[in-house]
Amino acid sequence: MSETPEQPTVNQVARLARIHLDDQQLTSSGEKLEQILEFVSQLEQVELPKDVEPFFGAIESVNAIREDNLQTSVPREKILDNAPESDGEFYLVPPVFRNTDS
Amino acid sequence: MEDTVLNPTSSPQSSNRRAVRFDDAQIIIGLEVHVQLDTDSKLFCGCSTRFGEAANSQTCVVCTGMPGALPVINQRALELSIRAGLSLNCQIARSTKWDRKNYFYPDLPKGYQISQFDQPICGPGHLDIETSDATGQARRIRIERAHLEEDAGKSIHDESSRRQDSKIDLNRTGTPLLEIVTQPDIRTAAEAKAFLSELKLILNYIDVSDCNMQQGNLRCDANVNLHIPLGDEQIATPIVEIKNLNSFRAVERSITHEAQRQFEAWQEHGLTIADAPKQTRGWNDHTQTTTLQREKEDSADYRYFPDPDLIAVKIEESQIQEIESQLEQLPADLRKLLAEQYNLKSADASVIVSQGRGVVDYFLKVADGCEDSKIANNWIGQEVLRQLNESNQTIEQYPVSPQQFTDLLKLVIAGTLDQTRGKEVLNAMVADCISPEEAVQQLGIKPVDNNELVSLCEKLIDENQDVVEQIQSGNGKAIGMLIGKARKINPNANPGLVKAMLSKMISA
Repeated sequence: MSETPEQPTVNQVARLARIHLDDQQLTSSGEKLEQILEFVSQLEQVELPKDVEPFFGAIESVNAIREDNLQTSVPREKILDNAPESDGEFYLVPPVFRNTDS
Repeated sequence: MEDTVLNPTSSPQSSNRRAVRFDDAQIIIGLEVHVQLDTDSKLFCGCSTRFGEAANSQTCVVCTGMPGALPVINQRALELSIRAGLSLNCQIARSTKWDRKNYFYPDLPKGYQISQFDQPICGPGHLDIETSDATGQARRIRIERAHLEEDAGKSIHDESSRRQDSKIDLNRTGTPLLEIVTQPDIRTAAEAKAFLSELKLILNYIDVSDCNMQQGNLRCDANVNLHIPLGDEQIATPIVEIKNLNSFRAVERSITHEAQRQFEAWQEHGLTIADAPKQTRGWNDHTQTTTLQREKEDSADYRYFPDPDLIAVKIEESQIQEIESQLEQLPADLRKLLAEQYNLKSADASVIVSQGRGVVDYFLKVADGCEDSKIANNWIGQEVLRQLNESNQTIEQYPVSPQQFTDLLKLVIAGTLDQTRGKEVLNAMVADCISPEEAVQQLGIKPVDNNELVSLCEKLIDENQDVVEQIQSGNGKAIGMLIGKARKINPNANPGLVKAMLSKMISA
C-alpha cells in the first residue's frame, strides 16, 4: 500500500454502518476517524524487505479444522427467545420490500 | 440513471447509434455460480445442512452469530472444494484464509458473511464446453477463482398488498457454498447454458454437490454487457449483474432479454460503461424481464477484512495429490472413451454421459459383456432411458441388472430374438423382474423350424396374390405387408428369415 487510498467520508461510513449521526456527532466522529487513520498510517513508514509474507492475525498457528460431524442444534424455543419478535416458528422482521414496484 | 441524457436522442451521435444493428453487438457474459457442497454439517458448526426441515430447527450459537461463539472450519468442505477445483483445472491455494464481508440484511444474523476475499481456496482454471456452432470446436471458458463461503438464511416476504412482516428461517445460514467465478469469456446465452450444464454434470460426477436447482443448491448470477462497434470505436455498455437465476432456462432467457434491453437503452441514451456504475437487476420469471434492484455496491462498501475468529488453513501438496488420486474420470474423459474405444458417435456418447456416472457404468458393463457397443448403445440409449424416464427411476433402481441385459442382447445378436421380440422380452423382464430366459418362456417364444417357415410362406403367397403381383411389378416395399401377416399367424417367425424366404419364392 504505497499510495494513500481515498479517505472515506464519515457520512459514507455511517451510511454503511446504518447509524444516524447528527451534525455535532459527524464533526467529532470525523476528527476521531482522521486521528485513527493518521495513527495507523505510521505503519506505512516501516520499510520491509520484499520477501516478508503478509500477516493477517496475531496467532501464528494454522489449521484449526473439525470433522464433518453433526452436533445437536439448539432447540427452537430457546433460540427464538433471543428474537425481538417471533411467531414461534420464524423470526419476524419489518417487511423488506415496502413498495410493490421496487 | 434513466434521466441522464448524455447524447440526446436528436443529436448526430444518436443517429449514428440508430444505424447500428443488434446483430453487430457482441454479448459479453461472466457467470458467478454458487454451489452447495454436499456436507452433513454446516461450514463452521455442527448443525445439519438437511433441506426441508422445520424452520429454525437447525441453528446454534455459531450460525446465529451469538457474541463469543467461535466458528471452526469443516474438513469435508475443504476437501470438496479442492476436488471441485482440481476438476476445473484450478490452481489450489497452498494457504487460504477467511474474510468478513459486511452488509446488513435480516437473514444475515452476524451482519457479515464469512467469505474469502484475497486468498480463495481455488485460483485460476478453465472448463472446456462443447458448442453447437458451425465450427463444432470446444470453447475454453476461463475460471477466475472459486472460493468457500457460508450461505445466508431464507427470507419469506409477504407478497400480498398487506405487506405483513417478513419471516426469517436461519436453517440455511452457514451452509457451505463454493462460489465459482468465470472470466467474461462467454459470448452467447446458449454458451452460458452449456457451461452450466457441464459444470453441474462434473460436480455431480465427483460427488461435490447434487446441484438440485429446485432446492437452490445451484444458483447463478450473470454479469452481462455489450461491446458495440461504432465507427472506429468499440463501445461497452454498463455492466449489469442479473440475480435470481434458478433454472437453466432462466439463465438463457434473462441474458437474451438483458442484451436486447441494453442495446435499446444504449440507442436511446448512449450511456457507456464509463458513465454508469454496475447495476443489479433481478430476473422476473413471470414477466420475463429484468428490473432494477440497486446500483451495485463496490467491493470497498463491503469493508472486507480478515476474520479474527478464524486462522489460515495451509494445504499440503500431499493432501492435494491424495484428493487428485481419488478423482474418477470426468464427463469429458468418458465421452472420449465412449467415442474412441467404443466407437459411439459423439452425440450418442454425450447422451449416455449426460445421464450420470451410473448409466455410464451400466453401459460399459453391457457393452463389454455382449461385445457389441453399437447394439448396447441402441438399446440403452433408447429403451432403457425411455423406461427410466417413464417410471421416473434412476439406473440404480432399474430392475434389469447389467448381466441380465447382456444376456438379452446376446440373444438378439445371435438372431434368436429379433428387435421386436427382444423388446417384448425386455418389457416382460422389467414388468416381472425376471431373467431373459424366464421372459422368453413366459412369452412362449421358441424357434420356428424350416419346414414350418416354408409352409407359412407358401400359405401367405397363396392367400395374397394381389400383394405378390405388386411386388413382382417392382413395389418392393409391399413385402412388409406379408411380413406383418406372418407375424400375426406365428409371432415366433423371424421377420428377417420370412422376408428372405418370401423374396426367394416370389422371384423364383
